[in-house]
Amino acid sequence: MGIITIEQNDSLFWLGRYTERVYTTVKLYANHYDTMIDEIAESYQKFCIDMNIPDIYGSKDNFIKSYAFDNDNPDSIISNMTRAYDNAIILRDEIGSDGLSYIQLSMYDIQKAEKSHSPMLEIQKLIDHILAFWGYMDDSIDSKRTRDAIKVGKRLERIDLYARLKVPRAQLSKEISKLYYRLPVSGLPYNKFKLEEIKMLAESEKVDYYNIVENIESLVEI
Amino acid sequence: MEDMYKLLEYTDSVNELLARYGVKFGIYKNNTFKEQLFPFDSIPRIIKADEFAVLEKGLKQRVVALNLFLKDIYSKKSIVKDGIVPEDFIFASSGYMPQMEGAFPVNDIYSHISGIDLVQSKDGGWYILEDNLRVPSGASYPMIARDLCRRSAPDVFANTAIEDNRNYADLLRRTMDNVNVGGHTVILTPGRYNAAYFEHSYLAERTGAHLVTNNALTVEDDKLYYLDASGKKERVGAVYRRISDEYLDPINFNSESLIGIPHIFDVFKKGNVAIINAPGNGVADDKGIYYFVPKMIKYYLGEEPILNNAPTYLPFYEEDMKYVLDNFDNLVLKDVAEAGGYGVVFGSKLSSTEKEDFINLLKSEPRRFIGQEVIDFKDLEILDDGNIVPRKADLRAFVLMADEPLVWRSGLTRYSRNPDSFIVNSSQGGGFKDTWVLSR
Repeated sequence: MGIITIEQNDSLFWLGRYTERVYTTVKLYANHYDTMIDEIAESYQKFCIDMNIPDIYGSKDNFIKSYAFDNDNPDSIISNMTRAYDNAIILRDEIGSDGLSYIQLSMYDIQKAEKSHSPMLEIQKLIDHILAFWGYMDDSIDSKRTRDAIKVGKRLERIDLYARLKVPRAQLSKEISKLYYRLPVSGLPYNKFKLEEIKMLAESEKVDYYNIVENIESLVEI
Repeated sequence: MEDMYKLLEYTDSVNELLARYGVKFGIYKNNTFKEQLFPFDSIPRIIKADEFAVLEKGLKQRVVALNLFLKDIYSKKSIVKDGIVPEDFIFASSGYMPQMEGAFPVNDIYSHISGIDLVQSKDGGWYILEDNLRVPSGASYPMIARDLCRRSAPDVFANTAIEDNRNYADLLRRTMDNVNVGGHTVILTPGRYNAAYFEHSYLAERTGAHLVTNNALTVEDDKLYYLDASGKKERVGAVYRRISDEYLDPINFNSESLIGIPHIFDVFKKGNVAIINAPGNGVADDKGIYYFVPKMIKYYLGEEPILNNAPTYLPFYEEDMKYVLDNFDNLVLKDVAEAGGYGVVFGSKLSSTEKEDFINLLKSEPRRFIGQEVIDFKDLEILDDGNIVPRKADLRAFVLMADEPLVWRSGLTRYSRNPDSFIVNSSQGGGFKDTWVLSR
């Protein structure tokens, strides 16, 4: 097993989290964007409630612009993409120039989308590049430790978002199951009791989404 | 060589690929950090095999002499005692580090990686402009650009015999391994907000060295260790540091440094880690000491210098001060403490008031400046807005001291994008080219 610094290990984990956050929120954003074209103009309000983020937007147009492209909005897609980039940029020697290039391209995609008259076309490229990064990671990153740290971050973030969005039990359990087996072998410090509790909460008669979110946030201790 | 113009149609594609791979440099403007792309011009500088053979020989000679000078200065000081270099140029130099007295780097190598800046005059002669023996940067740019050009126009490379410059990582690894005293090799970076961070991370990737900031290293029992995320400590045998001397060790040097490693210099002095390049090299690449390098070559090697300095005058000497004042408008004046194209003044471009002020400063601080004849650089062609135009350019050649001196058969060619400027530095808007050394 190769050596890796604490700083790099943390960044791999957060790179996984932020790429997943961008990926999932972009897909949700795209769904609401479509709904708001000619169906429910206030669809974004439900989005804010589901995501448990403050509704600072006031209008559909402002939501479309600010949630996607406002660097000063900490919840925005571009802010999360920037955080993914900030973590990736210090990992070139771990993920390789090719791996890093997909994150760089994703960053350019969101910047181009902001300037585009058809932002959703550019945003599709962003989705493609994030998927390419994940594919590259599986295919070309030899270090299991590196892959595990990214994948744990990605899975943990997905469970967090899915629990907030109250997705069906089967969908959530599938993700929890993957995390349940990967986290203990990843070498990342975590709370074993919380992992068991998350599994139990998803299996309970009525899925306890609220407590899953509570536990997932403090599961990995970095 | 007409084939090289086929690369023109790929200029945009190669620049897009450079952007994709994050080939950037950082710059601070108005206290804000910004990453900028380094503009690449696809028309290479071409150096013929026999011409480069002379450069190679001259560069090795120069760097070997500079290493001997550093060893001498931090031990016997024979060159001062023998009156070749005045002591004013040693002990008053900001690059001189008294802490290095009595420290002996592994294999007596001080400057493992030297960046030697040259220009070619219109008559084809090469002149050394500057020696960079501290933390010279720039090799990564032509290395990655070559890779991308080969992807873009493979037929050009199939039809032209060019030395492959992508071996720089192998040369660097050999250089680092040559002095590693046992343990891991790391590249120490100040962090991602450093101007050359791309290079630090790219060289780590290509050499297989571990990229670290100071947080990952610690000194215990006079040894240097890497702190692994699992809590293990692993011995480090060589540090290619990309931070300057004064910030390297807050205990031994600048106590305010937040990016250094306490006591690393003590580990180095005990021979328990190699620091690449060694601290204290600034005394040998000071613009003032540059004047003496040809004399060093004769003194230490008993040889005539193969490569020439640009004609240089030291106002420190009365005779040279007179020459500088008499020929002020024809000279370029350089502040020895400045770098990156700053502190450079062309006499002819000053107003009469500015000139008077400058001369007063020169007279009050003669050791601070050198005067040089303005060399009429040979222009290189660049593509500018669809047109091929001539621009000033220099060449940074890289000499690596491994188990033997090695000259990288390429180099960073930087050019000025401004038609009226001789300043080629990236921080001042310059671009770069690949440097092709023909292999036959």
